Amino acid sequence: MFFISKILKEAFLGSLSSVKQIAIIVIPIMMFLEILKDIGIIDRIAELFSPLVRVYGMKKESGFPLVIGVIIGISYGAGVIFRASKEFSLPKKDLYLVTYFLICAHAIFEDTAIIAAIGANGFLILSVRLIAAALLTYAASKWFDKKAQNEVNL
Amino acid sequence: MNIYRGKLDATTIKRGFFSGLEVTWQLARIVVPIYFIVTFLKYTPLMNFITSIFSPLMGIFGLPGKAAIALVLGNLVNLYAAIGAMVSLSLTPKEITILGIMLSFCHSLPVETALARKIGLSPLNVILVRASLAIASGILFNLFLK
Repeated sequence: MFFISKILKEAFLGSLSSVKQIAIIVIPIMMFLEILKDIGIIDRIAELFSPLVRVYGMKKESGFPLVIGVIIGISYGAGVIFRASKEFSLPKKDLYLVTYFLICAHAIFEDTAIIAAIGANGFLILSVRLIAAALLTYAASKWFDKKAQNEVNL
Repeated sequence: MNIYRGKLDATTIKRGFFSGLEVTWQLARIVVPIYFIVTFLKYTPLMNFITSIFSPLMGIFGLPGKAAIALVLGNLVNLYAAIGAMVSLSLTPKEITILGIMLSFCHSLPVETALARKIGLSPLNVILVRASLAIASGILFNLFLK
């Protein structure tokens, strides 16, 4: 009986302190993100970075949902993807590439904050994730181009 | 195509605080029960069994066998479940960073694969890409991290 109460105490205190540790990091990060949203910085960042997607042979407008998904998250990003694809009639290739990028890197601040809060090297994880997503999307864009060319040749 | 209102006031801070609280609550709901389960598990022979079964596989990433619990929970449930396992397993910072990158690439497979499928990507492709990234990054982090 004594043994079980010892385990319960360990689990109770341990889980509580872990949640506290994460809350201390996550709450300020979410407040910071909200401020960035409301003063329009996230829009600005998205506008600034979205032309970069032309490297992938994508329309400039496809960059917007990409950057939003990377910063805010994949479920929110998916909503923006659908909206943008209607509004700007984005090609299928663009939608696929945005999604490939996002499955590798989404909600990067929230996720990284949580993992860093429990002791991981957050900066390293964040950078590796973004670089890998960029390279993978590049490879996927080449693959799509080649496929499209083959279809034309047929 | 603007999404946000571009106006900063008191509700901004309030909204940020509550969305942080919401994340913490969603996380606590999963982290706490998993912490209890894993802590109990640690005092049973089952934990040694899991550790010894997965040791060879997890060794590729420089992780102890018990870390498999975090990988499985992270992929089948979500990142929060993996966090619950990670904090209760007493891992080193290096091990946490390795698990962190692997799980960053590949997590919440049921939910996120469904999302990718809705957009038109093949679920098998998505899972293969993500799992390869997780495996490759795990191996490299183990080799190059101090």
